Amino acid sequence: MTNYLVIAIIVLIFAWYLSFSASRLDRLHHRVETSWEHLDALLQRRAALALEIAHQSDLDPALDLLLTASAYESREAPMADRNEAESLLSESLKVLRESAVSGEITIKVALLDRLVDVTEKIRIAIAIHLESVSAVENLRKKFVFKFFKLAGRAKLPFHYSFEDDQL
Amino acid sequence: MTLPRSKIGMVCPYGWDTPGGVQIHIKELAEYFIAKGHEVSVIAPVTDENFLTEPWLVSAGRPLAVPFNGSIARVAFGPVATSRVRQWIASNDFDLLHLHQPEIPSLSLIACWSGQGPMVGTFHTAAAKQRTLVAAGPILEPVIEKLTARIAVSEMARTTLREHFQTDAVVIPNGIDSAKYASATKRAEYSSPVSLGFLGRFEEPRKGLNLLISALPAIARFFPDIELIVAGPGNIESMRKSIPSNVRSRIRFVGMLSEAQKADFLRSVDIYVAPNTGGESFGIILIEAMAAGAAILASDIPAFAEVLQGGEYGNLFTSESAQSLAHNVVSMLKDAPLRRVKSGCALAASERYDWKNVASEISDVYEVALASGRGVSLGSDNRGWKRFKSND
Repeated sequence: MTNYLVIAIIVLIFAWYLSFSASRLDRLHHRVETSWEHLDALLQRRAALALEIAHQSDLDPALDLLLTASAYESREAPMADRNEAESLLSESLKVLRESAVSGEITIKVALLDRLVDVTEKIRIAIAIHLESVSAVENLRKKFVFKFFKLAGRAKLPFHYSFEDDQL
Repeated sequence: MTLPRSKIGMVCPYGWDTPGGVQIHIKELAEYFIAKGHEVSVIAPVTDENFLTEPWLVSAGRPLAVPFNGSIARVAFGPVATSRVRQWIASNDFDLLHLHQPEIPSLSLIACWSGQGPMVGTFHTAAAKQRTLVAAGPILEPVIEKLTARIAVSEMARTTLREHFQTDAVVIPNGIDSAKYASATKRAEYSSPVSLGFLGRFEEPRKGLNLLISALPAIARFFPDIELIVAGPGNIESMRKSIPSNVRSRIRFVGMLSEAQKADFLRSVDIYVAPNTGGESFGIILIEAMAAGAAILASDIPAFAEVLQGGEYGNLFTSESAQSLAHNVVSMLKDAPLRRVKSGCALAASERYDWKNVASEISDVYEVALASGRGVSLGSDNRGWKRFKSND
């Protein structure tokens, strides 16, 4: 009799553990989605800002083209090409900012301030998003999560290789 | 897009009435966000509940003294603290919680365990792999994991976090109010012909006052007028008795200083010495010394080397070596121009740590956290059976 009781308790504890683990993973998946949404919104804002700068400033044609093209690309690119597009935009904006600081080109101070502000936000958003992605990856590698398919049908999050050192 | 008007709950793990870096950080951060129009409430262990110094402070009961990380941490846990934290979360309609040091057994951990919703955690400690933390890892990991975003105060703290919990963090340093230090003036009571300054809880061995005292005789051979001015809380009489008689006359205690006095103190002494032997993760005091335009000599523990950029903003001596300390003091005292150049660079660099820069980064992190949905509730309110019951 007691044997059955012990087995029942063990099964119950294990069931609780599985449900606890599943909700852990669910929370992390949620975090990946929301942090990506936030980052995506910031990136879209940056692209819009880049276009605005390109329209309003007196840039040389090469930089103008580079900026417009990369901003357009990052707004239109399919998900798979997104990190490439964003990295290109980061790089063009970095060139833009450096030439603005050295005084080679003039950009409205208000626009430059907004650019610096959004870049800082993106840097933080990228760090937090990548952290949540790797947290999901780490957890899903564990045996319990794989064997009992605790992730359900949720896709493995896409690991973007954003280069925040360019920001 | 800036942070919309929010109600922020901050959790302080350490006794509010004992002086310490984390408490001051939380106090100034809270004041900054209140000044920006947000609503802030801070919960902390408080010794005397009839004497709450700030209107936004909530007591979680009396702190207990527990040895931790080389000093005594005054933390709170147990049923009373737990119920107070839960009550605080339930009765306030917080948009977001900011937990400080959720990895130590105190209020922040309780809040992290009980709460659900956007939560930001700040990690202040840097420590080599600790057996206690490694053992607690599997228990802490699912709790720490609930944090929507993590902040580490230094690269050191970030490395610690990575080693113990396999998770990463955004590095945002602690802040200071640089305006307060810019207006510091030289004062006669903190200076003498040749003076060294020490600031901190001088009775704690890891603050390194004894090391500095043992280096004094060697320095006195080159600079006979040398005087060491010691500021900070502690029992002066018993400390004075433990000092060897040959240097006792060279040491002057000025007691605990107010914030404004501290700035004047740092400005007045010829060299500010930070001989800490370890256990520091950030060293806000070095930033304050930089902002006050002091010449700085610090031990080369990683946290200090990081702040001083490997010696660019002040000198570094080999930690726990009285000989290296004395050697550096003598060479610094001999080269006044270089000292001034270094403290000039340090003053300019300290601007990065001003609250307006630091808090705006923290507010960016809040924004990311709030993107996951506003509103903090008690986790248990969302359990299936409870929801089921309330549907009845």
